[in-house]
Amino acid sequence: MNDRTENLLLALPGILLLGLAFFLPIAQMLLLSISGPEGFTLAHFVRFLSDPYYLNILWRTVRLSVLITVICALIGFPLAYIMTKVGPKLRLGLVVIVILPLMTSVVVRTFGWMVLLSRSGIVPELLRDTGLVGRTFALMQTEAAIVIGMVQVLLPFMTLSILGVLTRIDGKLEEAARTMGCSFLQTIRTVVLPLALPGIVAGSLLCFTLSASSFVTPNLLGGTRIQVLAASIYKSVTATPDWPFAAAQAVILFVGILLVLVPYIKLTGAKHG
Amino acid sequence: MANVRLTDIRKSFAKTQVLHGISLDIASGEFISLLGSSGCGKTTLLRMVAGLESVTAGGIEIDDRDVTSLPPEKRDIAMMFQSYALLPHLSVSENVRFPLRMRGIGSREEQQEKVAAALETVQLGHLSERKPRQLSGGQQQRVALARAIVSQPKVLLLDEPLSNLDARLREDMQVELIEIHQRLGLTTIFVTHDQEEALSLSDRIVLLNAGRVEQQGTPDEIYNQPATSFASNFIGSANLVPVEITDSAQGPVAKLEDGQVLHLDPNEAIRGKATLALRQEDLTLSANGMGLKAKVRTRVFLGARNRYVMSLAGHPLRALTANDLDFANGQEIALAIDPARIRVIAD
Ligand SMILES: Nc1ncnc2c1ncn2[C@@H]1O[C@H](COP(=O)(O)OP(=O)(O)OP(=O)(O)O)[C@@H](O)[C@H]1O
Ligand SMILES: [Mg+2]
Repeated sequence: MNDRTENLLLALPGILLLGLAFFLPIAQMLLLSISGPEGFTLAHFVRFLSDPYYLNILWRTVRLSVLITVICALIGFPLAYIMTKVGPKLRLGLVVIVILPLMTSVVVRTFGWMVLLSRSGIVPELLRDTGLVGRTFALMQTEAAIVIGMVQVLLPFMTLSILGVLTRIDGKLEEAARTMGCSFLQTIRTVVLPLALPGIVAGSLLCFTLSASSFVTPNLLGGTRIQVLAASIYKSVTATPDWPFAAAQAVILFVGILLVLVPYIKLTGAKHG
Repeated sequence: MANVRLTDIRKSFAKTQVLHGISLDIASGEFISLLGSSGCGKTTLLRMVAGLESVTAGGIEIDDRDVTSLPPEKRDIAMMFQSYALLPHLSVSENVRFPLRMRGIGSREEQQEKVAAALETVQLGHLSERKPRQLSGGQQQRVALARAIVSQPKVLLLDEPLSNLDARLREDMQVELIEIHQRLGLTTIFVTHDQEEALSLSDRIVLLNAGRVEQQGTPDEIYNQPATSFASNFIGSANLVPVEITDSAQGPVAKLEDGQVLHLDPNEAIRGKATLALRQEDLTLSANGMGLKAKVRTRVFLGARNRYVMSLAGHPLRALTANDLDFANGQEIALAIDPARIRVIAD
């Protein structure tokens, strides 16, 4: 047996699983999205793309996902950097704190945010009592609530992706940069950031895809008025039910994510050589 | 160019003290070597001068300015790391240009000229577009050296800069270092555990032992007048033989542990228990001449010379001889030494 067939054999279970659990449903979804009462049709796509209501949902999904990803990176990078500099015990503690949201159920987590963000919740009350805002308002059922809730869930993916790369950077490089005239921030910009780029890219990909396709948290925190695409798909399946239209929306979501990711990978990949 | 003054520098990591009060005055433009065995604190001391390691106690001055609590980037130093610390995402020439760019030295064209000149100095002009990981260890080391000298800092700190080079290249680079130093006159602190390198390069050698200055002086002083048994053993790898010195009719004699006696220089003043430092190259071996009796244990062929390891009064004793001398293992031989070449160290 040569190397090639050996590799193929080893990869076989994975390929089979992917084929059955991923490619097959995707193919089915594609077929479903272009099937009408009398055969092939693009009507579902036309319906989606010509309706401002749905276009708004698509735009909101992309916009919020980008925002959530950027915020995750802005919090995750410094957090991961600090984790590499502290002792092993404190680092473990920080890792546990960061992944804690993933260990609680989505219902409990979201309920917690409701307590904090609703009209009589702690955060709006606090803002009013300290005089930062004039009147009570609700943070619930806003895009802000979705962003806050999603950042909490996705931060571990970003932080741990970056942490994995940062721990492999030789600390001597930062010291060398300091002896060559870099201040602390210049060292971060010229040495740490470029070397952490693969981790930031990987974390961003995870955050973006997960937030674009997430549905429970945005639905609970954003309410029915502020819908994202995944929630709209769910509604099409359960309320109407209109399976081909749901499939068309899913295809659009899929293609939309690819359209954002492919240039992003190309761009950052090329820069990093 | 600047002078460096260390006053009673101490350093502790957690509970272990690594440096026990080191004071050094380094003149402007001086080339000084920190010499010592592995783990004696050379790198730690260098890192403290660079500002990368906090000072437990003591003070550091560069150019008559107290820099003890100044961050590294404000000290105008350049350091070459033992592990090179080349930036992996930058090419060789970008690495060498990095300190010029970050310090804003010269225009872009001037920077590129300096980079080219520095790379030429270390004979790496042809590899300037490679990434560090595409270089051999020795090539990486030379890039690190080029990067250290390119910005002509006030103080140049070199941590074993030539340790990874083959003998030939090492000699070339030693000559380059001497020439760079003569040309630029940079105050240089050079860390090495290779005594020959320290002897051939430095204006002054500081011999460190377990976090203390054992002895300092010019290469000539260090080599010819080692003050302690550690110094004489470390420099020139002299043999240390414990003896008892007494007076006799023919002047002072040293009595070995097995009762053999060795006549010393008539002017020798030390009496009582002492240690003799016998240089390997000062010993003359003969099959049946006069002198101390020793037994051959092994011969090591060194090309131009032979090294014999013998046993004298139960201690191993090494001698360098011409390579035509041929003794068998286990053979009794006679060992002679000019009394003027014997160094006596009081215990
Ligand atoms: N960060 C640290 N934490 C604890 N101990 C340390 C640390 N750095 C160095 N040491 C200890 O300090 C001592 C001196 O180390 P240093 O690196 O200065 O030695 P060195 O003289 O440069 O040795 P070498 O020739 O092997 O490079 C060693 O015993 C080492 O174990
Ligand atoms: Mg060292």
